Amino acid sequence: MGMSFSLAWRLFKHEAKRGELTIILLAIVLSVTSVLALSLFSERLQQALTDRSAEFIAADSQLRSRNPVPDEWIQEAKNRGIDTAFQLSTRSMVFNQNNLALSDLRAVNTEYPLKGTIKITDTPFATGYETQNRPQPGEVWIDSRLLQLLKVDIGDQVDVGDIKLTVANILSEIPDAGFSVFNTDPMLLMSSDDIAATNITGPGSRVNYKYYFAGDRGEIESYYDWLRPQLDRELHRWQSIEDDDSAIGRSVARAEEFFLLASLLAIILAAVSIAVAAQRFSQRHFDPVAIMKTLGASKQMVRRIYLIQICFITVLGIVIGIIVGYLLQLGVVALLADAVPVAIDTWYWRPVGIAVFTGITCALLFSLYPLLQLFSVPPLRVLRKDIDATLSSRALQFVFSGSAVFILMMFYSGDFQISAILFASGALLVASLVGMTYLLILVGRKFGTSGIGAWTLAWARIRRRAMGNSVQLISFAITIMLLLVVLVMRNDMVKQWREQLPQGTPNYFLSNVSETQKEGLVQRFEEFDVEYQDFYPVARGRFVAVNDENIRTEVSKEGDEPAREGRRGLGREANLSWSTTLQKGNEIVEGQWHDDWQEGEPVPLSIEKEIAERLEINMGDQLTFNVGSEQIVATVTSIRLVDWQTLQPNFFFVLHPKAMENFTPTYITSFHLKDSRKSEISNLMAPYASVTLFDIDARIDQLREIIDQVSMAVEFILVLVLVAGSLVLIAQVQASMDERLQELAILRTLGLRGSRIRFSVINEFLIIGVVAGLMAAMANEFSLYLLQTQVFEMPFNWHLEYWIIAPVAGALVVGILGAIGCWRLLSLNTSSLLRKMV
Amino acid sequence: MSTTPTMIETKSLIKKVNTSEGSLQILQPISFEVKSGETIAIIGASGSGKSTLLGLLAGLDEVSGGHIFLDGEPLHEMDEEARARLRGEKVGFIFQSFMLVQSLTALENIMLPAEIAGMDNPKERAQKIIQQVGLEHRAHHFPNQLSGGEQQRVAIARAFITQPKILFADEPTGNLDSANSQKVEDLLFKMNDELQTTLVLVTHDNELAKRCQRQLNMNAGTLTEVTQPLKVIAGGE
Repeated sequence: MGMSFSLAWRLFKHEAKRGELTIILLAIVLSVTSVLALSLFSERLQQALTDRSAEFIAADSQLRSRNPVPDEWIQEAKNRGIDTAFQLSTRSMVFNQNNLALSDLRAVNTEYPLKGTIKITDTPFATGYETQNRPQPGEVWIDSRLLQLLKVDIGDQVDVGDIKLTVANILSEIPDAGFSVFNTDPMLLMSSDDIAATNITGPGSRVNYKYYFAGDRGEIESYYDWLRPQLDRELHRWQSIEDDDSAIGRSVARAEEFFLLASLLAIILAAVSIAVAAQRFSQRHFDPVAIMKTLGASKQMVRRIYLIQICFITVLGIVIGIIVGYLLQLGVVALLADAVPVAIDTWYWRPVGIAVFTGITCALLFSLYPLLQLFSVPPLRVLRKDIDATLSSRALQFVFSGSAVFILMMFYSGDFQISAILFASGALLVASLVGMTYLLILVGRKFGTSGIGAWTLAWARIRRRAMGNSVQLISFAITIMLLLVVLVMRNDMVKQWREQLPQGTPNYFLSNVSETQKEGLVQRFEEFDVEYQDFYPVARGRFVAVNDENIRTEVSKEGDEPAREGRRGLGREANLSWSTTLQKGNEIVEGQWHDDWQEGEPVPLSIEKEIAERLEINMGDQLTFNVGSEQIVATVTSIRLVDWQTLQPNFFFVLHPKAMENFTPTYITSFHLKDSRKSEISNLMAPYASVTLFDIDARIDQLREIIDQVSMAVEFILVLVLVAGSLVLIAQVQASMDERLQELAILRTLGLRGSRIRFSVINEFLIIGVVAGLMAAMANEFSLYLLQTQVFEMPFNWHLEYWIIAPVAGALVVGILGAIGCWRLLSLNTSSLLRKMV
Repeated sequence: MSTTPTMIETKSLIKKVNTSEGSLQILQPISFEVKSGETIAIIGASGSGKSTLLGLLAGLDEVSGGHIFLDGEPLHEMDEEARARLRGEKVGFIFQSFMLVQSLTALENIMLPAEIAGMDNPKERAQKIIQQVGLEHRAHHFPNQLSGGEQQRVAIARAFITQPKILFADEPTGNLDSANSQKVEDLLFKMNDELQTTLVLVTHDNELAKRCQRQLNMNAGTLTEVTQPLKVIAGGE
């Protein structure tokens, strides 16, 4: 053992010094570096984005309730070291002498908000700034709109319920204001200590209680496990940032899946490069193994020497990889510091663990087959150079590398679907390439017999080394395919995100527009040259029955008998709209849109798909709504898919206008006003004081900022994968150059002109590049189809341009790399070429 | 002479290889003996089967039939592991292409067989023997930093470090110019003499072959003892 160790150490030391381990070391360093940098960065980014999403609910988790919850619940959270905060919200009239307004009243304790900040402003409608203060007892903070409606100023008093409170600040923003076009009452923030005195929470009032929780994720989860059995589905709702189904939540979730994908691809890339490097390492050691065996070394001794050596290489590779990976992501984090606020002070052990595991698994599993080959080299090779390893089983190699890749992907992602998709694409690629290889042999046989032109030589070489080339072809094609997948996914994803918020996205919503105001507003918009959207009629209706079955629209009050089992309602009034034109971004998935309704038929209604599923409503069902004192009965004639990610008003129920003939509608609409023209808003809306104006610029900015950050992070990952991919390509060309050395030396010695040899080698690489690119484009399309439809839930598009780009780029890149490699070789004179061969 | 123990003995040794056109017998039944301390040369044209025979005698290859005894041990019955042990204990090698481990220094290459055999103080032994081949100043050079002649001297030192009973040399001067050839030959025979090693030398160089006590000619897989002066045979080719 001691002997094997010292011999292994000596071999390792000398080979490392002489640069003979560079390629395999680089491959391991690459795998560890890319996996570490990717996962470290994405971990940090995820943390940053999670924090960001937490701001939208002002906490890590929230418990909403219709009633105050028992004190023990909150005490239990505190005992577990979880921070808590509280908010009570209701809609309440606020008065100032003769002025009154309905307000969105929020009463909070001093701990609120646990995440995010409250913003105030000094002048109405100006941009807000953060404050650490909270409304004190006796104070109210009201927003600019309420300030206007009540005609008050800072220092004035307003009546809230039974008490008078002093306006202390102009409120600009709270983290969990929510975003609802229909719920746009101006906001009032006050201390929860004053609530009891106001008497506004008496019987009959609709009050919501929110309890906020922030702290260690595990603690919160275990707290929720404790709490869950005590919750009443009808009264309580638990919400965590993971449940975020908003546009932002979905973007972040998708970005996370992309990071996962990119990291998996980086692992495969690293694995491919280690496989190539290990093959080369093994071949270089055929002679030393034969010599050692000849000199009496047992199989066990040889095995020990090389396994120890591989361990040395792995350890060195992992150490360098961790250092480089850490520095790299540190650099990137510094570069992106302004755009993506990620914390760099925390050290995440998980990515380091993953990187080390990847390094070890890749290095050991991928060198297993080459090492087995190496161990099988017979001693007779010392006499006959043409004797190679006796173990040669491509199937065995595929089994080893295939299972290694799959194990790694499963370990890393814990996601069978995504792993299986990538694995299947890879397997398809390998299978087609092996088939292709045999085809090449056949085609080459016809070509390779006439003359020694550069193309003929190239073909002849490809044919002769078909099997060797197939390995090369596979590794080139896999590399190109992986790069394509990452590139296309990134492009499609960023494009889709940007489409969510195109330039000119409405940043103001108007509701409560009366029939008479509609005409005037249109004129005014045109006068002011403002881009406005359609006007949608709205009526509030209570959804009361499906067919003959009554449904509950109110939750049961405390102390009441539980309502009979049955269909759950919407819990509150629904907004009904009516139109004969299908709204943009809506798609009929069942039935037909009601644009050609005939008098005498039942009134048609179109329902949104998710709500239909939730309320178990099917096509042909008869729905009854109470609107004011009237009753409307309509039949479901179509089910719509609605893209909730667009910031457009959308409706669960759209009726035929006929059904609503007797109602005076109010309208909602939206418009876009550039930043530079924001000062015109009060002038623009001056004649329409009763119309509710809702400014969602802050929301849009937040959304856009997050999308930009995520896109930038995604782009960084793309660059990282591209760099990794290029390194792998270089390693592959380098490895294949060694194999070509002998042939080049012979051709050169025989006097073939350098230019002709060069062209033939370049042509060979060009052909390999084109084929690899084409195959990669095919496998790319296949895996994209599966990824986009199965994992990312995006619409699938064909990527025909890549069927051209991939082979061209493949030919160019592989050709250029090949040219550089062979230029270097051919600049050596014949004798040094021959010497290099020994 | 008859009291001298036999170092190598073959009986009806044959070797067959499988080719695409079926089985091909490349060694006809060969029977001969080499006494301990004897030096023999196996001569013959390229492709006559010299190296194949050497590979079998040295236990690098498996026989297809017949018997080989090396220092009384039945090589033909042994598996690769047992043969490796035997080689490590009793056999030294010198090759035409030197066969040094490129990533070990001259000194480390010389140490290698001693280490594999588990001998004590391999480094001291190697330092002593490298002086005998006159390369102590090149001890820490790598093979590719040495000339062909120097590399072969390292190989000779490596072959003798374990004081093997038998030394197999395959065209030891085949890759060297005449000046270096002479030096290497002299060194080889001098050290062989000193250690009384049995030498089996494969060569097509008649001059070199003549320095051995016996010469055997390999022709189309058949081995015959050369009884006439070598020049005649060389002239007759």
